[in-house]
This record gives sequence, structure tokens and C-alpha cells, in this order.
Amino acid sequence: MKSSLLWLPLFAVPLVLHNDVVLTILVFTFILGILAVSFNLIFGYTGQLSLFHAAAFGIGAYATELAMAHLGVSFWIGMMIAVLVVLTISLLVGTICFRFKLKEFYFAIVTFAFSEMARLVILNWNSFTNGSLGINLTAKPSIWLPGGAIAIEGTRIWYYLSLVVLILTVTVCARVVHSWMGRCFAAIRLNDELADTLGIDVFRYKLISFLIGNAGAAVAGAFYAFYLGYIEPAYLSIDQSLAIVAMVLLGGRDTVAGPVIGALVLTALPHVINFSAETRILVYGLILVFTILVMPKGITGAIARLARAV
Amino acid sequence: MLQLVVGQLLNGVIIGTLYGIVALGVTLTFGITGIVNFALGAFMAIGAYTGWYLTDVVGIAYPVAVPLAVLVAALFGLLADQTLFRFTRNNLINGLIVSIGLISVIQSVLLMVWTTTPKNMHYVLPGVINLDLFIVPKMKGVVFLVLLVVILATYAALTRTWAGRAAYAYAQAPEAAKLMGVRTELLQTGVVVYSTALAGLGGALYASLYSLEVSMGASYILKGVEAAILAGIGSVMGSLVGGIVLGVTEAIGSIFFPQAYRDAYGLVFLVLILLFRPSGLFVRGR
Amino acid sequence: MRNAFYRATRLRSVTLVAAIALVAGLNVLPARAQNVVKIGEIEAQTGALNTYGWMSAQGMRMAVDEINKAGGFEVAGKKYKLQLINPDTQGNPQQALIHLKQMLEQDHVKYVFGPFLTNVYKGIEPYATGFDGKFLLMGGATAIHFDLGKPHHGYLMRTWNWDAGPSGFGSLMVANLKKRGAKRVAMLMQNDAFGHVARDIYAPLFKTAGIAFDEEWFEPGTTDFSSVLAKIAAWKPDYVFPGYTDAVLYDIVRQATEIGLTKFWLVRGSLGPGLKNKDALDDYIIYIPKYFEEAQNSEPKVKKFIADYKAFYKTDFPYDQAPLCSSSCYDHVYMLVDAMKKAGTVDDVAKVKQTLMSTIYHGLWNIRYDQTGEEVFNFDVVDIKKGGKIEVTHINPK
Repeated sequence: MKSSLLWLPLFAVPLVLHNDVVLTILVFTFILGILAVSFNLIFGYTGQLSLFHAAAFGIGAYATELAMAHLGVSFWIGMMIAVLVVLTISLLVGTICFRFKLKEFYFAIVTFAFSEMARLVILNWNSFTNGSLGINLTAKPSIWLPGGAIAIEGTRIWYYLSLVVLILTVTVCARVVHSWMGRCFAAIRLNDELADTLGIDVFRYKLISFLIGNAGAAVAGAFYAFYLGYIEPAYLSIDQSLAIVAMVLLGGRDTVAGPVIGALVLTALPHVINFSAETRILVYGLILVFTILVMPKGITGAIARLARAV
Repeated sequence: MLQLVVGQLLNGVIIGTLYGIVALGVTLTFGITGIVNFALGAFMAIGAYTGWYLTDVVGIAYPVAVPLAVLVAALFGLLADQTLFRFTRNNLINGLIVSIGLISVIQSVLLMVWTTTPKNMHYVLPGVINLDLFIVPKMKGVVFLVLLVVILATYAALTRTWAGRAAYAYAQAPEAAKLMGVRTELLQTGVVVYSTALAGLGGALYASLYSLEVSMGASYILKGVEAAILAGIGSVMGSLVGGIVLGVTEAIGSIFFPQAYRDAYGLVFLVLILLFRPSGLFVRGR
Repeated sequence: MRNAFYRATRLRSVTLVAAIALVAGLNVLPARAQNVVKIGEIEAQTGALNTYGWMSAQGMRMAVDEINKAGGFEVAGKKYKLQLINPDTQGNPQQALIHLKQMLEQDHVKYVFGPFLTNVYKGIEPYATGFDGKFLLMGGATAIHFDLGKPHHGYLMRTWNWDAGPSGFGSLMVANLKKRGAKRVAMLMQNDAFGHVARDIYAPLFKTAGIAFDEEWFEPGTTDFSSVLAKIAAWKPDYVFPGYTDAVLYDIVRQATEIGLTKFWLVRGSLGPGLKNKDALDDYIIYIPKYFEEAQNSEPKVKKFIADYKAFYKTDFPYDQAPLCSSSCYDHVYMLVDAMKKAGTVDDVAKVKQTLMSTIYHGLWNIRYDQTGEEVFNFDVVDIKKGGKIEVTHINPK
């Protein structure tokens, strides 16, 4: 992967740039990048518009914290438990959707329905999730290295941690995409009925991409929650799902890492240009409209076109 | 208890017609242009704010303001069709994403013009009709009748006029219809504009009953889609019935279960229908 | 083909680095002027939940401008001016966190006002706690109440009344309600953080007062309350205790009066919904920080504030939003400046806080802080009776 060279300069950034604010923006970018890249596996590569991703994100966050609080486990075990929880729920939702052969639009609507139901449950289950008050996370995850345990505190450590996890996510997704599984995904994206006649088990591969994608979202949820330090039901809102779609569309559906650029733009934008919430809503809307009609391959696609033209 | 249930039954029917008008827009758009226009809720908001503005700020009489609001919504619908939806015909995913983007655009413009302060129209027709078993606010009754008439008229127009039958023909066999001389682009644009006009009407009437916030259309488009899918996309009278079924379930459900779960009923219906009878209750299966 | 791929990759990496550089560049700030005290404000000025934040920002801007126009203020022999840094959080905890980081680490701000929104507060609290002792955070969020007085939270102060507690008005209001002969109260509240806190405060108070209490919840965004109101009506309450924003109140009051529920208690919002339905209701009791329409005639400071507002913003005075200036707003800037003057320092945060805690400020409101750092200020209870007759009671908590 020659494109892995792309990541090296990013490791150098905290050594050169001592601006905590910029580093914080980048940490959020990387974590949301994990979210966007995993979504792209389902949407860009397999062609399924899932509106369940925010739910996987939120459930991953809540499950990690609740596992740590009630079972006393460490962050990493908690995150693994969260991934298992999300995989189980995704298995249920995915089986229902794909077994009944829900196409495109109906799939989007049903995943949205499940996402909303999950949000309503978390919102109303006050005794367990604290409802709309949300949960403040005070425990800090730590990493065990040969020298001893380092608490993951402070922007620099979070920067490297999130960058490493992002690279891992991208690598895993790239491996999947370039494997025979990925070729099945592509076939399904292009024409799932045709893929079926070619002998591809459409149900199985749709489900696999759905599971892997949601697992990625759960991991992103765990990290996001612990970085921000606060979880609330809004993690599972439709606005969050749409923001993820916007990130992927903006960054580019065609590459594995493209969505990270979308995540960067949408995370940094409010801090670079000081516009009102109303204008931000307008910009989001225009991004969705624009990218579909004018720039369907997103920023990375536009760059690639530029590279070919030059 | 009986009083409560009967009263809510009626209330559910009335609210159901609001869902029904949106569902009608959804079903027509899907049948003829092959996409679901999620922005219909935002067009409802356009109709509502315009209706409020014309009635309360400009001072036009409400019965005149309503058709004007419908016109405004329809004009914006035409604009949206020509700039956006024209390029997403029959592409469900693109159409979905574009219409969702359009919602944000419309909402942000409404916010910039009218801010987040909720708007309240003066009471056009205050007072209630007090029958022994239940109480019905007069304006709600008027809204119900107007929407009912419009939906029935649409059904009549579709089945009895040439344009209507052309639309049916197109929905069933696009190529054949085209060969038979149906002006398909005009038809598609016409349907998009008509459905935004319907949403605008729903909004303008809504404004006489409730306070307005920019995001008011969000739950209505969702319920409209739920009702349309429940009844079966393509059935005009079905969208009315679907809307009423949804409205009644919500109203009666709120008596026995917490109000907080009100929005969940529609979601559950949706999932069940799509899984077990995807063509809907009133359309014959594929 | 290969060349294009490498070119594309290089272009992509260049873009990424350039983008990061751009973000970094726009965050590098020019050198600061001398003798300036920076104050920060971290509120949602736009967006769906902006009502409180917007008004606070309006008042704060006015205060800073007035103080600077008057030549600034003098502390320990030196003259200072104020600089207001007030980004818009848009109600988003992630954005607010980044804004706060910028304020504390780059701008070296020591006095931050806000947030009013609980979720924003909870998003910034872990980070803010790391700066305990280095700055003051003075906000109105409900969740701040629960953190006051906790270890490592000395930086925290709350700029809003609390319903419960020794200076709280909750029991006052419930006692008043009992005096009116109420025996049954039905609450119809937003199913969110504030709603739950309200229930947690009032349910026990009603129980102690011997008033039967029913609770119903609705999702924010609901506009049709017919079914739940019908359910409430069947329970035959004396008073309805409704949700807390104007948007919701207009609909609840209209629909409630249509089915015969005509008494409303402890409304938190403006007089608008009550006045609109004045002929249909019997009693509409509002808790309001200040009834500006009356105060402008009886309090010279209020009259001046309204005139200054109109001149500064060149727009009508927002009577229905003005009461929200009681939190992290106009008065608080002046109070802070006074405290700095009295303490003789602009940098010693502990000393400034101590001074704030031991003074009573007389501005648009009479403001003091109790021993935990929670604000106590005077407020009005407005009772709209049938036909629109208005009775105002002024309450000055001790």
C-alpha cells in the first residue's frame, strides 16, 4: 500500500504543532473518521444506505460505559463487550432487513425506524441510562506498555491513540475491500439481483458488511464518548446519521480513506469559519445536495480527476 | 373511559387526515417520479409559515391566505423540481439524499427569515363543538373537512380526467404511456408540484391549529411515509385510510401507554408492514 | 494509469496537510493588547435551544461596550478594558469543548460565563475540572447545581435560582398553591433533563404538602396534546403544571382550555400564552425573573436598560426574552468588574470569587450567591386571571 505513506506526516504533527485546539479538532476528526470509514463499507462499497449507523455509534458508547460501571471492567474489555452488543443487535436488525430482501429505500427507512426505537429506549430507560441527562464518564482508559500503564489523558496521547485506531480501521476495511468479500460487496452494490443469479449469497454478504461497519461504529462510539467525557441520547439521533452520510459523500465514496477528509471538513468548519447555526444547517443541506448532483465522487474524486487532467 | 376513547377516536381521525395529505403527496411522487420526497415536511413548513405571515403580519383574511400559501409552496416545489429532482428521477437513494439536503436548506432559510421564536396565528375560529360524548374544536373540524374534500377531489381527478388517467397509465407502464403521447416530463413536474402544494395546504391549515416551529414538518413527513407504506404506495384513498389508521392508533395508544412513546407506534407499524406485507394493506401484492 | 494514481495520492496527502495547516493557521492569534481583561461566554446563540444563550449574549455585549465606552475600569491603580470572547456553541458539546479549550489555553481567559444548556455543560465539565483554580465558570445550567461544592469544582458558580434548597422558591410556590385550595396537580412536562429534575424537586414537595400529583411526559417537538390532556382531564386536576417553553405552552394552554382545564401553575415562560387565551382560562401563574412590562415603569434601571438596548441593537425590545437576562448576562459583567475592583486584582481568581460570594449586587436584579455558589435573585410571580387581569407579586428571597 503505497498510500500508507500518506499517514506518516500525520504522526509528526504533534511534534511540530503545539496548538492544543488544532490537535483536539484532529482527534475528533480521527474518531469521526473511524465512524465515517466504517459507514462507507456499508454505503459506498456495498451500496446499502443504512441509517442505523448513529445507533451503533451511540449503543457502542453507552455499552462501553455501562459495562465499565456495572461490571467493573477496563475500557478495552468494555469496548469489546460493546462491540459484541452492537454485533448482536446488528445481527438482529440486519437479518430482519436482508432476509426480507428490503431494497434500498425501504432498507433506509427500516434502519431509521430501528435507530429511532433504540434512541427512544435509551432516552426513556432512566434507571439504566440516566435518560436525557446523559452520563459523564470519569474513568480514563489506560494502555499497558512494557514500561508500565499509561493513562490515556491529554491531547497528545489521544491524538496518537485515535490516529493508530483510525489507521487500523482503514487497513482492515482496505483488506476487506480488496478481498473476495470486497468483490462480492461491489457486485451487490452494482446490481444485487444480478449478483444473486451469479451465485453470490447476497444475504450473507450484505449482513457481513453491515456487521463489520457497525462494529467500527461501536469502536468509534467508545472512543468518542471517552474523549468528550459525556454521552447523551443525541448520539443516536437522525442528525448524527445524516452527518455521517454527509461526511462520506463529501469525502468521497470510492476510496476507503476518503471519508476521513469529509470528517475533517465537517469537524473543523465551525471553528474555521464563524457562522451561525442556521448557516451551518444550510451548508450541510447544500453539501448533501451538491455532492449527489455535482460532485458524486466527493473531494477525493475531484482530486483524482484533477490528477488525471494535470 | 368510553368518553375518552371515543373522543380520541375522533381526534385521531382528524389528525389522520393531516398525515393523509402528506401521505398522498408521498404516494403520488413515488408513483410518478420514482422517488420519495422527504422534503414534503419542509414544504408543509413553508405553507404554514407563509399562511401565518399572510394572515397575522400582512393582514389578509385567512381563507384567502391559505390558497396563496399553497401557491407559494407550489412555486418552491417547481423550483426544487427543476433544479434538483429533475436529475434524480427513479433513483431512490439519490432522491432521498437530495430531498434530505433540501430539508436543511429550507429550514435554514425559514430560520434566517423568521428565527426560532415560535409563531402563533390568532385564533381564526375559536370555540368548540360540545357534543355530550366528546369535544371537538371547531377549527379542527374545518381542517378535517377541507383535507377530506381535497383528497377526494384528487381521487376523482385521477380516475375521471384525462390527465389523471394518463398519470395512472404512466405509473403502470412508463414507456407505453410515453408512446401513447403522454408528456412525461410535464407529468412528472406536475406531480411534484402538486404534492408540494398538498403539503403546503396541510401546513397552512396546521398553522390555524398549532404553534409553528421550523422543524414542524419532520414528524409529519415521517408519519406520511409510514401511512403511505402502510396503505401501499400508489393507492390514493389508501393514503387517507393509512393516515387515519395511524392517527387513531397514536391517539388511542396515548391513553393507555405513555405519551412519550407516541411516535413509536408508527415505527412499529412500518417495520411490521415492510416485513410481512411490503406492498401495503390496500395494494395487491407484487 | 500508475502515474495518475501516485499523483492522486500525493495530491491527497498534500490536501490533507494543507487542510490541517489552514486549520492551524486560522487558530494562531495575534499578540494581545495590554491592560485588557478577557471574559469568555460559552452559550448556544443559534440553533433550536438558543433562547437563553441568545439573550445572555445580547446583554453581555451591551455591558462590555458600556464599560469600555465609559473608559474602562480601574483596579489597584491600573486602568483596564474588557474584551468579550463569545463563540457560538450551537448547543453542541463537541464544539463547546473546542471553544473552551481555545479560551483557556490560547486566550488565557480567567472568567467564563455560561453554559445554560445542561448537555453543553456536561461535555465541557471533565476538561474544565482540570483547570480548577485557574478560572471561574459562571453558568446557569441545571446540571451545574449538582456539581457545586464538590471537590475540584471550586471554579464553578451557578447564575440562576434553584427551585429547592433553603433559598429556593419551590416550597414557597407549593405553599401558595395549597393556600388557593388546590388538592390535585397534573404535571405535563418535556421528557428531558430539565423536566426530570423538575419532577424530582416538586414531587416530594407536593407529597409533603398533601397535594395529589400526576405526571405525564411528552417528547420535545410535540404539538398535539389532545390525547394526553384528555387523559389528564379525566383525572380531574385542580391545576395543570405545564412544560417550560413558550412553543409548547401556546399549544398546551389552547388545547387544555378547549377541554375545560383552565388553571395553570408555575408556568416558566412568557405571558404570551396566558394572554392569548385569557378569556378561556381562570388562573395562569407564571414564575418569571422579571415582569419587564411593569418594571419599565417602576424601576429606573430597567427603563434605562430597555432604552439602551433599543439604541444599541436598533431594534424592538424583546420583552418575552428579556427575563432571561437574569442568567450570565448584563448584570453579571458589572458584578464581576465590581468584584475585581473590590478585591484589588484581575488575576487572582480565588480572591475574585471570594469577593463575588460575599457581595450583594444591585442591578436590574438583586444578586447574591449562597454558600455553595448558587445564585439567589429576586423574581416575580405573575398571575393572569380570567379576562386578562394581572396580579404581580415581587419576591425577594432572604
